[in-house]
Parts: sequence; structure tokens; C-alpha cells
Amino acid sequence: MTPESTPPPLLQLHDISKAFFGIAAVKAVSLHVNAGETLGLIGQNGAGKSTLMNLIGGVVLPDSGTMTFKGQSYTPRSPADANTVGIAFIHQELNLFTNLSIAENIFINQFPRTGILRSIDRAALKQRTRALLHSVGLDMPPDMQIERISPGERQLVEIARALYQDAALIILDEPTTSLTARETERLFAIMDQLRAQGKALIYISHILGDVLRVSDRIAIMRDGALVSHEPTRAYTINRMIAQMVGRSIEQLYPPRTSTPTTETVLEIREVTASGIVERISFALHRGEVLGLFGLMGSGRTELARMIFGVDPFDSGEILIEGQPVHKPSPQRSIQNGVAFVTENRREEGLLMSIDIANNIGLVALKDFAKSLLQTIDQGELLESARSTASALQLKSGDIAQQPAKALSGGNQQKVVIAKWLMSQPSVFLMDEPTRGIDVGAKYEIYSVIDQLAANGSGVLIISSELEELTGMCDRILVMSRGEIYGQFERGEYDEERILRAAFREIMTAEPMLTEMKS
Amino acid sequence: MVRRERVRKRKRGESSSFATFLRSILLSDYFVLYLTLVFFIVAAVFFPTLRLPGNIANQLQNMLPLLAVAIGQTCVLILGGIDLSVGSTMGITSVVGAILMAQTLDPSFFDKSPLWGTPFMGPAGGIFAGSDLAVPAGVAVMLLLGTGIGFLNGYAITRFNLAPFMVTLVTSTFFAAFALWLTQSRNISGLPEAFLELGKGDLISVYLGVKATPEIARRDILPFITYPFIISGALAIAAHFMLSRTVFGRRIYSIGTNRRAAQISGIPSRSVITRVYMFSGFCAAVASILYSARLAIGQPSLGGGNLLLDIIGAAVIGGTSLFGGKGSIRGTVFGVMFFVLLLNILNAMRLDPFVIDAVKGLIILLAALFDITRTRLVNREQRA
Amino acid sequence: MKIRGVSLPQFLLNNSTIVLFVSVFMLFGLASERFFLPENIVNIVKQAAFTGIVAVGMTFVLLTAGIDLSVGSNMYLSAVAAGLLMRQQNFEVLPALIASLIVGTLFGAFNAFCIVRLKIIPFMTTLATLVIGRGVGTALTQSQQIDFPERMNEFGQALVFGVIPMPIVVFVIVVIAAWYILTRTPFGRQIYAIGNDPEAAKKAGINTNRALTRVYLISGFCAGLAGFILVSQLGGRVDRSFAEGREFDAIAAAVLGGTSLFGGAGSVFGTVIGALLITMVQYGLSFNLVNLYLQPMVKAFIIFLAIFFDSLRAANLYKLKRRFIRPLDGLPADPQTVGRSPIEAARTIPSGD
Repeated sequence: MTPESTPPPLLQLHDISKAFFGIAAVKAVSLHVNAGETLGLIGQNGAGKSTLMNLIGGVVLPDSGTMTFKGQSYTPRSPADANTVGIAFIHQELNLFTNLSIAENIFINQFPRTGILRSIDRAALKQRTRALLHSVGLDMPPDMQIERISPGERQLVEIARALYQDAALIILDEPTTSLTARETERLFAIMDQLRAQGKALIYISHILGDVLRVSDRIAIMRDGALVSHEPTRAYTINRMIAQMVGRSIEQLYPPRTSTPTTETVLEIREVTASGIVERISFALHRGEVLGLFGLMGSGRTELARMIFGVDPFDSGEILIEGQPVHKPSPQRSIQNGVAFVTENRREEGLLMSIDIANNIGLVALKDFAKSLLQTIDQGELLESARSTASALQLKSGDIAQQPAKALSGGNQQKVVIAKWLMSQPSVFLMDEPTRGIDVGAKYEIYSVIDQLAANGSGVLIISSELEELTGMCDRILVMSRGEIYGQFERGEYDEERILRAAFREIMTAEPMLTEMKS
Repeated sequence: MVRRERVRKRKRGESSSFATFLRSILLSDYFVLYLTLVFFIVAAVFFPTLRLPGNIANQLQNMLPLLAVAIGQTCVLILGGIDLSVGSTMGITSVVGAILMAQTLDPSFFDKSPLWGTPFMGPAGGIFAGSDLAVPAGVAVMLLLGTGIGFLNGYAITRFNLAPFMVTLVTSTFFAAFALWLTQSRNISGLPEAFLELGKGDLISVYLGVKATPEIARRDILPFITYPFIISGALAIAAHFMLSRTVFGRRIYSIGTNRRAAQISGIPSRSVITRVYMFSGFCAAVASILYSARLAIGQPSLGGGNLLLDIIGAAVIGGTSLFGGKGSIRGTVFGVMFFVLLLNILNAMRLDPFVIDAVKGLIILLAALFDITRTRLVNREQRA
Repeated sequence: MKIRGVSLPQFLLNNSTIVLFVSVFMLFGLASERFFLPENIVNIVKQAAFTGIVAVGMTFVLLTAGIDLSVGSNMYLSAVAAGLLMRQQNFEVLPALIASLIVGTLFGAFNAFCIVRLKIIPFMTTLATLVIGRGVGTALTQSQQIDFPERMNEFGQALVFGVIPMPIVVFVIVVIAAWYILTRTPFGRQIYAIGNDPEAAKKAGINTNRALTRVYLISGFCAGLAGFILVSQLGGRVDRSFAEGREFDAIAAAVLGGTSLFGGAGSVFGTVIGALLITMVQYGLSFNLVNLYLQPMVKAFIIFLAIFFDSLRAANLYKLKRRFIRPLDGLPADPQTVGRSPIEAARTIPSGD
């Protein structure tokens, strides 16, 4: 195609800027997206990706700069405006109504109507939904309730909705976080289809490998500015990271300063919960960082919750420092020296509206209680919280005043870790500890994890990022569909073998059973 | 030599110092107190009766029972729950206490009561009638009963996972009817003098006026530090201490902010929630003691009518959020003060009682509106 | 024993309100055979109409996770307005009814204004308007009771088609209309959406302010309607305590019928069953001459049973609906059943293999 006949970009941003309360979130960004291409957008948290997307999606208004879409000037004043011109924004937290059916979700704002009363034309509704579902490869009854379908299927319903709105540009924000591997593959296949149909896609993700795989061009943001915008072939993972961070990172993972001892701090024996986990057995040692890898939905979080005592299990034993625990509960676990950093800090890890210091002091509260009346020595609590916070290099305002919600993701996670540190646990269960945290802060969290092990705790890390585990762990267990399917020692880490163990469900070959070393 | 002062140019976006002053008052914990005082001063100009020492003393005493029950409700609200049964708890404890302590009971009133003929109820009064222990025992039973009802509420809410609104609604209906049944809708009089002392006995009274003869009219001696004052005051101080300084109080706020996060952090939420409802029932019983002693009757309909509106209104005016996680005893004290003053003014205006009710409702709307504005201001400050 | 694929205890639990209804019905019938006479049934349904009409309006509000505590006062104020117009302006029944509807809806509009515009939470707003409404009504009547003219009584005793009492007909019409709106119109489905996730609803482009305003208007309308008809049944007299406490019956009826106080779940049919249950309990107790004092206590207990079973049911359903990672009986995981609930898995696994 000669340059003269290259079609103009579908979406064009020119010097777009936006500031909140005097702090620039997006600085003079100029960007374009062409029809039939996928633009990968990456950047650390706080780099401005979300704000930029919100500007395109009509959620906020720009302070300066212009946008054109399909050649026309584009100035949305609301998400509805964006929808009208053909831009669909599929958020990370899917906007589906679990109490309604697929069809109702898709057409919630534009039902086909019939009759004098202008009520819903149910036949047309069913038919159109079926057609849409077919176009994304979903073979489900249109009147099935959303709460009964899997996250991957829900994602596809969202895409079907975007298609219905005849979107020419579809923005996907962290779409694969809750998807199984199979569902991710399906999503990518649909995305290919959409590109072939001439749609434009913006794909935002922290999983750099995926971004490299699906994008035609990649845009990298840092501190509100667009620092790089080239075809995919110009990028490698290292370059992407370097651009995101603004300096080259020699190492993503700090060197390990501890080695596992032979002393067992946590032992799981034949833990079984019907339908969830089956005969789980393993041991965690003092000074060890043990990884638990698996795909989404393999039962790792469920297992962690059972170990900590949030959920019950049917049979098996849990021993902490050699002592069996009967009927575990969060309180008993804490007493026994177990900590649990959950995968969703906003919902289960922090009291967002309460100040940082009191968040940090939440677990170890009783330690600061004096006298029969259990009065809290606030001064001591504050001091202890401050020292723990500084040990973790927490960046914040006055921890006695600032609420947790004012912090960035990485610092919020540090508050959660600080909270648990205060109870001086010997076992640290961490579920996706670096989820939603940018590269720079991740390194700091890894250092903390190493510190924990060096101080004599045993750390169990659950993660879906294999690189993270191979980088940090002494040993990796692989879980698949509720069972432990493999164990790998440091030195024999082979990504392909580990993945095969985790991907058991799509392999027809016999699963691998390595001898479990105690 | 002329000293030239550098006039600082106000930066764009920075408000004048007066606006800042105003904002700090608005957001202050003591805002309601200031408002109450201002109201009082302004109202006193138009309604001279307000200024009378007798009136002030009276209002002060009116505050106290309401404060007692509002304290318990505040704790429940901070927890994120609600206790609709406090009114009925007041009624049943009033009745049970009276039945136990009454020194004489009129057969024509009570002979149809289920308890008539049993040792509990007879023409010679209740089971403790005449005994020296009547009042302590009666009071103890009342407190236990109130706490027990609170326990029932808490248990049903935590054990069976039922909505507080529905559970306390059910207990409210049940015990209100129960009280009426026991007394056949009658009030019980004939309570021992010692009990009545609790309602009006004073330790320190104030006499304002011309120095007079030794026979000073009782009317002119104003109660100040009365038993109710001590009781409610002690309750308030204890509750304030508990909420702000103890582990238990910190746990209440945590559960009210995010129950799941609190649970994972090891807070025994079931036990805390149950105990808070028990405390609410206890406070209702205390209020019942004060009211019953003052009125000198056991009244099955005590706590009925719009009392719940008064309690919640006072709490909300005092800054307690109905969503949980926010509130304080100090705020509730000021809220009750404000409320009682408001009622005083409305009464002084000689308005019809139902109009007063309507105005009360309006004020509560305004209070809620005000709270919303305040929260928005606070959020804006925090973001900047 | 299995009914429709689930065990008997399970089935009973899923339909606990109906089961309770039938049980209580039987119990009253056992206590007195005359209970089953058609005229009693008709009376029950007639009395249920008032709670039911208000409860149906309340259902709309509850679906959005709101609440309307002011319906009792609304009924009172609307009745007062109608009564004054009939007495002093010589209104006929129908215009007075329309006036009642208008007042009820305006009351609801005031609620909607405070909730949607001023953003005061529904509990506070309607608690306040509960008090304000009754205050205004009492002021209008100078605290006197209103006696409606005779034509109001005639209206109350009217029989449609010569057989069916008027309140029942109105009830049925309201129920059908409400059912239709909630299940067959976009507005109705959007109400469910708002109750499920208000933020997502806004993002999906639903005009939540308009929808919320409408539900409070509907609740007010129903209160106005119920108030007027109730007066016609009570001998045409309205005093200061008219319709006091009706809001709690309405809420209880809706909750018993499966409406969640948190929004997003509920149905008109369920609410009707709930209203019938509450009314039947009340009626049955007086019919069996149970001590007047004990009646509220029994009623409270039954409501407690109902919400208790409802909670059990919700917990049970949660256990069933959550995703299973592997089949339940310890067999190697079958790819077909992974990710599905046991209900689903049971349907896909071929039997007798």
C-alpha cells in the first residue's frame, strides 16, 4: 500500500493533557490507533494509562488537547457519548449484572421493544443475543444468568456487548487477570477475528509477554507522558521494562540472602475438601521461600484460605511448628504465628478509610493493650508502626493521619505486610503479593520477602507469574485442579516443564508425577 | 520611617483566612456544640423562658435518659448495624422491674395478667415488695433483661446471618406486645421510694435567687448533679473510653469499616457484634430505669412512638454514619443536647405537638444533608 | 426422594415461604374447621390487599437497595386529603381517589427529591418523612378524626361482577401491572440492574436518577391507593393512628417473599405470598380468638421463622452455586465438569456409564 492511500488513523490524540488537583496525570500525549490493529499500552501504575483511557472513554474531560475519531472531532462528555460514536471500554472489573441474564446484560440500555406498551420484544432479544454470542464463540442460552458463568465467559459477553454497540474501537483493560489459560487463548483468538474485521483494539496489561504477542504496535507511558510508541518488533521485554521504569533494571529480583533450613514451620498432611482440593501434602521450612504455581482456578487461594482457617476442610491435618491445629480459624492461626496476605487488599486486606497507622496495628492490637481494661497504648503502637513502615520503606504522608486509600498499590501492599509483620509470624502466606503493583515497587516487595525468610519465617507465595516464582523461590509446587502435581527445586527450574504440569487440563498425555521430597 | 509590610498576594485556589477558619469550624468535632450554643443564645433572645434557670435545669435532666439509650445505639451504628428494639426493651424492662418492685397492685387492673396469682404478682405487690433489697434486685433484673434481649439480637444476627433490621424489628414487636400482655396495657404504680430517688434524687442542687428564709421553696432549688446525671454521665464516660481507647472499641470501628478485612485480621467479629448489641440493650435498660423512676411508673409503652427517630436523629446530628465506621460518644452527647434544645424551642413556640414532630423530621433531613456536605469537604481535603 | 432433581429437604428449603404458608394455613384449619370456609379465605385475601399493595410498591424500592419507611404516614396523609375533599368540597368517590393517588405520588416525589437530588440516604429520608407526613396530616385535621360520607362505605363494599370484593380486584390489577413492569419492560430490568451494581448501571448508560425517582413515586402511588381503599373498608373513619406501622408489615411481606434488603433480588409473586402469609397469620389468630396480646408475639415469631429459613436457603444456595474445581467424589477431575457447579455438572455427566 502506498503511503498516500494509507487510511487515516481511527483515533487520534493530539497533545492531550489532564491534571487532578494540580498534579498532572497525563502530559501532552499524542497517540494514534489504526483500524485493524491492536495497540498494546503498558506502563507502571500511576503512569497515566487509566486516565488516558478514561479520557478516551468519556469518563473525564481533558484540560487541553484534541481528539479525533473516524476523522471527526471527538469531545465526549460522558461514557454514553463514547458508546455512541463507537468506542467500547471493557473495564477490569466487568460491568455485568449477576442477577440478570446474558441477553439482558447486553441490551440493558437498548432493549428491542414491541407493542403499544413498548415492552421488551423477547423473541428479538433472544435471537439477537444468540447471534452475538455466536460471533464470539460462546454457545450458551441467552437467558442464562450471569452469575452461573465463568469469568472467561463473562469477558466474552462483555465483548459481545461491545460488538453490539458496533464499536469500532475496543479498549480492554487487564482482561486476563481472572481468566484460565484456555479462556485467554480464546480471547486472543476473538481479538484476531476482530482485527481482521477492521476493528481497532487497545490492549492494556501488566503481562508483558502477552502484550508482545497480541499487539501490532506498543505504546509505553511513564509519569504521565508517552515515552515510546513503535511497532512491536522493535521491543523486547527488557526494553519495555527499561522504558517503563526510566532506567534499565539489571535485575528484576533481588539476590536471595537466606537458604532454607530443615526445620519445618508449616506442614500440611492430606488436606482434602470435597470438590476443591484433594489430599494436599507438603512442608514449609524456616528460611524458605516456597512458591505455589498454578493456573487461575487450580485451588491455590482456596487452599491458602483453608490453611489460615477462613474456610473449612473435610479431612487432613495442619501442623504449625510441629503442633497440630484443631479447627483452624483466623484468630487461632494468628496466635500460632501464621500470617495471610490475601490477593485482594482492597476488599480483605485494608480498612481503606482508616489511617495507615491503625491499619498496621490491626492484627497485633492486643500486644499494645495494657491493664485489665485493655486500653491501647497509642503512643507505643504509633512508634512500632512507624518503625515497621520505615523498615519496609513505605512512602506516605503522616501515617497517623493519612487514610490507606490515599496510597498507591505498592505502598498499600506494604501496609498489609507491615500489619502482619507486627504479629511476628513464623509462617507467611502470600496470595499474589505483587498483583497490580508496578515494576519498581515489585522489586521492593521481593526484597521484603527475602528479608522475611532471612529473619527465620517460612514464606509461601502463590502466584500466576511463573517468572516471579522462578526468580524468588527455593522450591516451586505446581497445583492443578485441586491437586499438587509437581515439585521443582531451584536449579531444575524449567519453564516448559512447570507449565506443562500446570496446564494438565489441555494435555492429553499423562500428567507428570515427580516424587515428593519431604 | 514607614514600615512597608509586604502584602502577600493570595495564590489562585487558596482561600481567605476567614474561609479557612469557617471550614475548620465546620469540620471540627465540636461543631454541633458550637451550633447548639449559638442556637441557644439566639433563641434565648426571642424566648425568654429559655433563659430561666428552672428551664435550663429541666432540659438538662431531660437529656439524660435519651443520652443513655443513644449511647448504646451509637455503638451499634458504628458497627454498621441498627437496633430497632431499644424502645421495646425500655418498655419491657420498665414493666418487669415494676412488677418485681411494686409494693401494691390493683386487682381490678392486673387480675387478667398471666402473672397474677403467682408469687410475682399479687395484691400485695411484686415478689420483692417491701424487701430492703427490692430496689437493687429490681434494678439488677432490669439491667440483666435488657442485656439479655441484646444478646438475643446479637446471637440471631451473627449465628444465623440475619439482617439486623429484620431481627431487631421482630424482637421489637415481640417484646412490646409482651410488655402489654404482662400489664394488660396498664401502667404499674406503687414503686418504692428508693427507686424513685434514682430518678430525681440530687446530690448537688443549685439555688438561685434572693437569699431567703430557711424555708426555701422546693421549687426554687434546682437539681444539678442528680442521680440520673451521674448515671448517664458515667455511662457516657465509660462508653467514650471504651470506644476510643480500648481494643474492643478499635475492633468495633474496624468491623464497621470492613467486616471481612477485620475477620481476616483476626478480629472475632461474632463475639464483638453480639457484645455490642448486648451493650445497646443494657443502655436501653438504663434509660428505662431513669425514665421509670422519674415517671414513677412501670410503663409498657415506654420507648414507643417516635423515640427511635429522636435517638437516630441525635446520633446522626452528632456525626454517626448509618453506614458504619464513623461516630463518637462526644458527637452523640452534642447531638442529644442539640435535639433537646430544639424540642425546648419548639415547645416554647407553643406549636402543636404534631407540628413539632414534623419540624423534628425536617431537622433530621437537614442534619443528614449537612453530614453529606461535611463528608464531601473532608474527602476533598484528603485528596489534596 | 427427589423432586425435580433435588432432595426433599432441599426442595422444602428453596420454597420455604410457601411451605410455611401452607403449614400455617393447615394449622389454623386444624384448630378450627370453619377456617377453611370460602368467606374466610375471601376475607384474608381482602385484608391482604392493603399490605399487599403497599408491599408491591415497597418491592420496587427494595430492589434498588433502598427503603421506604414513610408509607404508613403516606397512607394517612393521602386518606386525610381525600377525606377533607369529600367532606368539605363534596368530592365524589372517584375524584377523591384520584386526589389520594396524587397526594401519595407527591409524597413519594418528596422522598425521591431528598434521596436522588440531595443524596440523603433512604433510611434517613423516609424515617424523617414518616414523622413529617403524620405531623402534616394531623395538623390538617387539627388532630380530629375524619368521618367520610356514606358513599365511601358503599364504595368499600362494592363487588365487581357482583361477586369479587373491590379491594381484591384492585390488588390483582396492581399485582399484574407490577409484574409486567418488572419483568417485561426495560425500566423493570434496569431496576434489577441498579440493585445489583449501581456503578455498573451508570456506566452502562442507565439513567439511575430517573429510575430511582420512579421507584419512590411508585411506592408513594401504591401507598395513596392502599390508604384510600383501606379507609373504605374501615367504616370511613380516619384518626391519628391510621395506618401506623404498616410500613413494617410491607417490608416484612416483601422480605418474606424473597426480596433482599440489599437490592437486586425479589419478585412480585413472592411479595404477594409474603403479604398473604402475614395477613393470614393475623387473621387466623383473631379468628381462633387467641388472646389479643399474644397475637403480635406469634406474628413476630412466624416472621422470625421465615427470615431464618430464608437465611438458610441463601447459605445453601451459595454452597451449591460456587465454582467447583474438581468432582465431588474424589475421582480424577473430568474436564467436562471443571469450573461448573454441581447442579450443572450433574446435568452434563451421562448417567449409567
